[in-house]
Amino acid sequence: MRPLAAAIETKQLTKTYKSRIHGKINVVDSLDLHVEEGEIFGFLGPNGAGKTTTIKMLLSIIYPDAGEGYVLGKEIGDMSVHRLISYVPERPYYYEHMTGLELLKFYASLFGINDQALFVRLLEKVNLHRDMSKTISQYSKGMQQRVGLAQALLNDPKLMFLDEPTGGLDPIAHREIRDLILSFREEGRTVFISSHELSEVELICDRVAIINKGVIARQGKLTDLLRGGRVEVTFEGVTEQWLKDKGMQDSHVRTIAGGVLLDTTEEEDINSLIDAVRSNSGRIVSIVPRRKRLEDLFIQTVTDAPAQAAKKTITVEGAN
Amino acid sequence: MFRPIASIAATTVGEAIRRKVLLIILLIGVLFLVVAPGLGMLSARSETTVLRGMMLGIIQLTSAVIAIVLTVYMIPNEIERRTIYTILSKPVQRWQFLVGKYFGAVAALLMMMTLMTSVLVFTFWLQQRDASAIPDLIKAPVMYFVQMSLLAAVAIFFSTFVSPLVNFFLSGGLYLLGSLFAPFFQTLQESQGTPQAAKIFAQLVNTILPNFANYNIQNPIINPGQQIQNESSYYLQVTIYGVLYIAGLLVAGTIVFDRREV
Ligand SMILES: Nc1ncnc2c1ncn2[C@@H]1O[C@H](COP(=O)(O)OP(=O)(O)O)[C@@H](O)[C@H]1O
Ligand SMILES: [Mg+2]
Repeated sequence: MRPLAAAIETKQLTKTYKSRIHGKINVVDSLDLHVEEGEIFGFLGPNGAGKTTTIKMLLSIIYPDAGEGYVLGKEIGDMSVHRLISYVPERPYYYEHMTGLELLKFYASLFGINDQALFVRLLEKVNLHRDMSKTISQYSKGMQQRVGLAQALLNDPKLMFLDEPTGGLDPIAHREIRDLILSFREEGRTVFISSHELSEVELICDRVAIINKGVIARQGKLTDLLRGGRVEVTFEGVTEQWLKDKGMQDSHVRTIAGGVLLDTTEEEDINSLIDAVRSNSGRIVSIVPRRKRLEDLFIQTVTDAPAQAAKKTITVEGAN
Repeated sequence: MFRPIASIAATTVGEAIRRKVLLIILLIGVLFLVVAPGLGMLSARSETTVLRGMMLGIIQLTSAVIAIVLTVYMIPNEIERRTIYTILSKPVQRWQFLVGKYFGAVAALLMMMTLMTSVLVFTFWLQQRDASAIPDLIKAPVMYFVQMSLLAAVAIFFSTFVSPLVNFFLSGGLYLLGSLFAPFFQTLQESQGTPQAAKIFAQLVNTILPNFANYNIQNPIINPGQQIQNESSYYLQVTIYGVLYIAGLLVAGTIVFDRREV
């Protein structure tokens, strides 16, 4: 049984491409994705990991070779669900001769919508109302990305697919897009973002999956995945030995210029240690959390992968 | 259901009239039409039939080139420029996309052929000042329009699975074949003396090969033996043939395109 709350659910979803050099390759390999309704989901992976391929399968632009996929509870290929979803492609693939307003009009007509006030409101939302009579070819990359977001809102979607929404944009444009995406969540939409820009994702995503060479390496809540950071606490008025005697797991203690430095894991009960130091008339100089960063997790995950890739090649050769 | 088709068709027209190649071909066609009367006067027999035949030939040739150039790139361009991705992410079925593209092409053809026909009509009106001759004059261009619609459907069908260049020769070749040889195979099929095997072969060719010759009504050089007893019923008949053939091609195109990865 599929849980009703799932916005996206895939089971063993697989896409195979033939390449002249490598033979058959599972570009997306037995993918099990689970995206909850109302969350911003980050689909992370390096270039060529299979992110766009997965999105295209979920949109029935291409067809899977194996496995199943459900979008808002409907099996992929069911066109009725296309009324409730939207998609912003990786690069702005729009008709260049259209103006921003014409572009919205055109895509709206595909839903049978013709609502001038809506078009203007959406262009205002993405801050393009002053440029709505310019053609797409006159738009900057950031403007094209924003008009893409505007067209993705035409049908008031429940679920939005954004493929690398900030790819190749400058920091200001990044920020504009990020704020827009956050507003989508506030409006109750589910947002599925593919990206390799991790700082972006870290700031806005609730859950992530890390995909590498078509295989999901990690999936879960961002807070869970980033658990296991470290904390550095500097004390005065206690000795190195006194701290060592506390017997904390996975910790290092050493004496430095301003006192004694304890390097321990986030999991340790630092509060009660601090209480103990204080009642021992010691002092806390500083507490510096060294949080695990998504980037570390990502690099670690991706560099772990050659083992998996090698395994895959063997099965491929075995099959031929 | 028809709204998306109409929007896609309208957008296709918008794209088509911005394509410089098409405008240049059209311009050349119109230019020839404009100088044709001058050339006609050079010919010994300065009959209007000669001039008319010449101008109709120009319209037909230009339209055929436009029909092919317009349609062979239509679907491949959408895929290459990936404009099709966003469209298919909307509630648009592939057949709606294909049919929308086709009607867009036909509408663009209609516009361009109307322009050329206007030059033809204007020329004859200047010469003869006789408005009653106009209906007779535009019969041939109207039939050419049906012919080009059929040609566009052939090219759209092929464009769902072959590259534009191959399609150019394939559709162009079929057009020539269907224009020049369809009458021959028809005669072969109908004549008494034909051996049974050849008859079956001729029938097969007649069924598959689009009969473009049907529509060459004003060209006695190409269709010398054709005798049309009842004109209007003939026009109706060949138009129905064209519409059915076009529908068949669009259905076949959809079957191919539905399975296609874009
Ligand atoms: N039509 C195709 N034919 C063959 N290989 C393809 C095709 N489309 C994508 N690929 C390959 O699939 C892999 C994943 O591509 P993609 O999903 O675009 O990656 P990402 O979006 O994560 O950067 C790449 O190695 C790419 O070369
Ligand atoms: Mg991609």
